[in-house]
Amino acid sequence: MHNQTTFLSAIRTALGETPNIERSKSTFPKLFAAPDTAETLKKIRSRTVTERNELVKILLHNGNTLNISSHIVESLPEAADLVVELIRSTEPEFNYTKHVIMHDHPDIAALELWKRFNREAVTLHTTFSRDRQITDKTIASFIGITAPTIGVADSATVIQLTEPGRPRSTSLLPSLHIALLRRENIVADLAEAYALLRQKSHLDSFVFISGPSKTADIEAHMVYGAHGPRELHLIVLAEPELEK
Amino acid sequence: MSAKPQSQYCRDAQKGMGSPRLQASLHSLQNRFGKGAMTLWAEMDDQDMRRRVKQSRMKNLDHLDILLAELAKKVRARGGHVHFAENAQDAIDYTLEVARKNEVKRVVKGKSMLSMEIAIDSALQEAGMEVVETDLGEYIIQLADDKPSHIIAPCIHMDRSRIGELFTEKLGINYTDDPPSLTAAARKALREKLLSADMGLTGCNLACAATGHISLVSNEGNIRMATTMPPVHVALMGMERIVATLDEHRETVQLLTRGAALQKLSTYVSFVGGPSTSDDPDGPKEFHLVIIDNGRSKILADPEFREVLACIRCGACLNICPVYGRIGGHAYNSPYCGPIGAVITPLLDGINKHADLCKGETLCGACKDICPVQIDLPRMLAGLRQKLAYGSDRWNTKQHNPLEAYAFTLWRQVVSWSPLYRTGLKIARLCQRPFVGKNSMIKRMAGLASGWTDGRDLPPIAKKTFTEIWQKKHATAEVKLPMATKEDNNA
Ligand code: SF4
Repeated sequence: MHNQTTFLSAIRTALGETPNIERSKSTFPKLFAAPDTAETLKKIRSRTVTERNELVKILLHNGNTLNISSHIVESLPEAADLVVELIRSTEPEFNYTKHVIMHDHPDIAALELWKRFNREAVTLHTTFSRDRQITDKTIASFIGITAPTIGVADSATVIQLTEPGRPRSTSLLPSLHIALLRRENIVADLAEAYALLRQKSHLDSFVFISGPSKTADIEAHMVYGAHGPRELHLIVLAEPELEK
Repeated sequence: MSAKPQSQYCRDAQKGMGSPRLQASLHSLQNRFGKGAMTLWAEMDDQDMRRRVKQSRMKNLDHLDILLAELAKKVRARGGHVHFAENAQDAIDYTLEVARKNEVKRVVKGKSMLSMEIAIDSALQEAGMEVVETDLGEYIIQLADDKPSHIIAPCIHMDRSRIGELFTEKLGINYTDDPPSLTAAARKALREKLLSADMGLTGCNLACAATGHISLVSNEGNIRMATTMPPVHVALMGMERIVATLDEHRETVQLLTRGAALQKLSTYVSFVGGPSTSDDPDGPKEFHLVIIDNGRSKILADPEFREVLACIRCGACLNICPVYGRIGGHAYNSPYCGPIGAVITPLLDGINKHADLCKGETLCGACKDICPVQIDLPRMLAGLRQKLAYGSDRWNTKQHNPLEAYAFTLWRQVVSWSPLYRTGLKIARLCQRPFVGKNSMIKRMAGLASGWTDGRDLPPIAKKTFTEIWQKKHATAEVKLPMATKEDNNA
C-alpha cells in the first residue's frame, strides 16, 4: 500500500491539491453520479411482441454486416435441428473427432442434443462447474454453444457473463460459436444494455461479442478466424406468444 | 542529397517516403479510415457526444486520485492485486517478481503500447522467459525483429510477400502470400503458445472505477485468449486510462472503436475485474493490475499539456495527418507515432531529445478535427515548439537552436525598419537569379538554405511586393479607405 500512498500524493501534487490529505469520494458525489435507469429498465420490460420483433430484425440486419450468420426459430426443437445441421456439416479444425462443448444453461439442455446422434461419432460436453476436465474438453471441441444474457440490436452484440457453469472459453476456443438468444433478451442499444449490466457489475468478468474473430493486419485484407471462432451463429428463439 | 548531416528523423522519414509499399498502404489507410471517421462524426446522431466525453475525460483527470483509489479498492475486493508503479523500472520489477513467484516460462502478450514504452519485453527475456506477441500484426513485427509503424495496424509497412517469406523462414510453412493462409498459419502457431503460456500480459484500454474493471478491446480474440487461458494475468495500465462510471465507459469505448476502425464496437470488449472465481475452469487464478505513472503526473501538473492525457489512443489522428501519411510511423522513433506521438513522446521522454517530432508536424489542425475527444494537439505542438525556442525550466528543456533564435532577433529588426527591409529584398532578388530554373522556380539553394529545396522547388521572391502592387493599383481608392474606417470608429 506504501506505493499507492506516494503515487496518489504525486497526483494530488500535480493537481494542486494537498499531497498527503486523501480526497474521499463522498466529498465528490457528482463524480460517480449516474443517470437513473428505472425508466430504461421499465421500457425494456414493457416492450410489446411487435416491438421485440422489430429489434430482432435490426439485430439480424446489423449482424449481417458483421458477418454473423443469424437464424430465427420458433421453438427449441427447431433450434436443435439447426445446431445438429451445423455439427454435421462442419469439419473439425484442430482435431479429427467432433466434440461439442455447451454451457450449463436450461435452454441449451432443452435442445436435447444427446438424443440426436445415435450413429455418428459426436461427443457432447457440458461445462458443469464440478467437472475438472472442462478446459481440455473445450480445447478439443470444434463447436461451442452458449446462451448469452443480453443481445444488443444496434451494435449486433451478444453479452456473455462469466457465471458458474458458464466459463469464458466456450465462446472463444472452438472454431464455431453458436449463441442461442431469446427474443426477450434483446435490447435496443448499448444504453439499455449497460442499464442491465449495472446490476451485474459485481461479476469479475464479462464480454461483448459482435461478430466472429477477425483481422485485417496483412495488407488490410479482412480474414475471419484470427484467434477466436471463425464463425458466429446467432440463433434467435422467438416463440409465438400465446394469445391473451 | 545535401552534404549536411541529417537527423535520424529525417533519414527515417526519407526512407518512408521512398517506400512505394508504405506509400500505397498509407494512402489507402488514410483514404478509408481518415475520411471515414470524418464522415462518421459529421453524420452521428448525437452531435454532442464527443464534447461530452471530452468533458468527462477532463473531469476524471481532475479527480484521478479518487478514481484510482476506488478502482484499486474494487479490484482488491475481488481478490486481485493492484500495484502502483511510479516509473518503468518499478513496473518491470513488480512484473518480474510475479513471474518469478509463478515460475513463468512463457508470456503471451496482448497488444500494449505501454509495454513498449516501459520496454518490459527485453527485461522478461533477459530473465529467461519467452515473450510472444499475439496480435497478428505485432506477431509479424516480432518475427521480423522490426518496429510497429501504426498504433492500430502495426505492420502496415510490410507487404504480403515479405510476410510470406518471413513465415516460411520462421514458421517453416510452404511459401504463400495469401492473407487467409498466412493468418491460418499464425492462428495455429499462436494457439499453441496461447494454450501453454504461464502468464498473459496485456494493456488496458479503459478502466471503470465505479465497478472496478479494466476493459480491453480487440478484433482477433487474442486478448481474450491471453486473459483467459494462462493462470496469471498482468495488466499494465497508464494511470490516465480510467472513467468513473459505466455510463462514461459506454460512450468512451464507442468513440474509441469508432475512431480506431469506424466500428460501433470492436468484435470483443472484455471486462476483467479480478481473478476468476474458484469454480471457474478457466480465467486467471491470479490477477495483477499495474497502474503506471512514468512521467504522466508531470504532464498532469502542467495545465498547458494536461489535455493530452484525455487521449484514448484510438490512432485516428494518424489516419488523417498529412505528415504521418507521407513519412509513416518509423520516423517517430517511439511506440507512439503520428500527431499524438509527436506530443506525448517529447513530454514523456524529453522535449530536446525528440525535438524533430513537433517541428515535423504541420499544425494544419486535421488531428484536432478527427480526434474523437477533440484534443487540441496543434496547440500543444506549438507549445512544444515554444519550449524549444525559448527553453523551459519546468520541462528541463534547453533552447534548441540558439543560432536560430539569434537569426530571428535579427530578422525582427530588419522587418521592423522598412528601408532596410526593402534594400534587403532588392539584394535578395539579385542573388536568387542564378538559382531560378526553367520552370521559373528555385530548384536548389546553397549552404544552410539547401534544406528548403531538397524535397521541393521554391517560388522565387516576386518582382514586386504586395504592398507595391497595392499602392500602384489602388493609389486613388487608398485615400478613401482610412477615412471610412475613421467614420466607423467614431460612430
Ligand atoms: S489524440 Fe485523439 S485521435 Fe489521436 S490517438 Fe488520441 S484520442 Fe485518438
